[in-house]
Amino acid sequence: MPANKPNQGNFDELLGRALQMHSEPVPADFTERVLRQARELDKRRIVSRVVWQGRLALAGTILVGAAAIVGVVALPGRVGALLSSIGMGFTERGGALIDRFPQAVGVVRNEWQLYAVLAVLLGFAVYFFFDMLLSDRAKMA
Amino acid sequence: MVDDKWEQHGEDNGLRLLCSGDHEAFSRFVDKYKETVFLCCRRLGLREDEVEDVASETFMAAYKGLSRYGGRSELSTWLWSIAYRKGIDCLRRNRRERQLEDEQETEIADGTEHVPAVVTEDRETEQVVWEAVERLPRLWKVAVILHYREEKAIADIAKIMDTRENTVKTYLFRGRQKLREMLGEALGEDYNAGK
Repeated sequence: MPANKPNQGNFDELLGRALQMHSEPVPADFTERVLRQARELDKRRIVSRVVWQGRLALAGTILVGAAAIVGVVALPGRVGALLSSIGMGFTERGGALIDRFPQAVGVVRNEWQLYAVLAVLLGFAVYFFFDMLLSDRAKMA
Repeated sequence: MVDDKWEQHGEDNGLRLLCSGDHEAFSRFVDKYKETVFLCCRRLGLREDEVEDVASETFMAAYKGLSRYGGRSELSTWLWSIAYRKGIDCLRRNRRERQLEDEQETEIADGTEHVPAVVTEDRETEQVVWEAVERLPRLWKVAVILHYREEKAIADIAKIMDTRENTVKTYLFRGRQKLREMLGEALGEDYNAGK
């Protein structure tokens, strides 16, 4: 019994004992029903999550597309130079890439805002791609 | 009162599984506490059709909130506070809140009319005590049950009932006094030695 009970004695003991012996009737299938509700809630949560992921992925796709269009329209020179430098980079040999590394760092430093935006968009796209393809399958399993 | 299966899994492990959303752990949790939740709902005076709904709501609220349960209070105290709040909300929805407050005075005045029958060999003492407790006003009844049956400290009862500790002490004092009066005639000298 807790220490701060107002009075002690036979009456308290009797009361405690009597109340603890009481058994409250509960419907036989109550646990199963609550468990069913919990499972339904989980399913609704997963569906809601998938719907939101779909919406976000769609928003991400639109955003990437819009950013690309805005980039091409507003900064055609920069985007052209960037794409050509990326294309050149892919065709370069490893040794040449190493030689050009300080130059590439210089280019990134000069145009860091553009690279930052591209990096965020790329990260966004990759995250949603993997989230949509892998994580929900794992959750469903 | 303690479920063996729950104990077998260990409290910590059971709690960890429960908080992670494990259905088996949740099933054990419901099995362990369903009687307590029904007890709370019925003692608050909910109708039988409301009792099951509120009990289900309580467990579903617990299921949703388990990931946020920080262990600051005992799991049973936490669940009691949800059940109590849901029960009171149900009473409020049905505009029985005023009745809840009014009956504290009125029922006590009528209490002597409901003295339990004298205990005979056929009637268990426990049954008589329980019947007397059932005649207390709802809030006194809940406080008495929490203290004597669930062995909760005053501070925990205050937390569950969302009230001050002094109010709980008053409920307990008056409830105990009323039970003494009611049971005095029914149980005779069996317990009066401790008076």
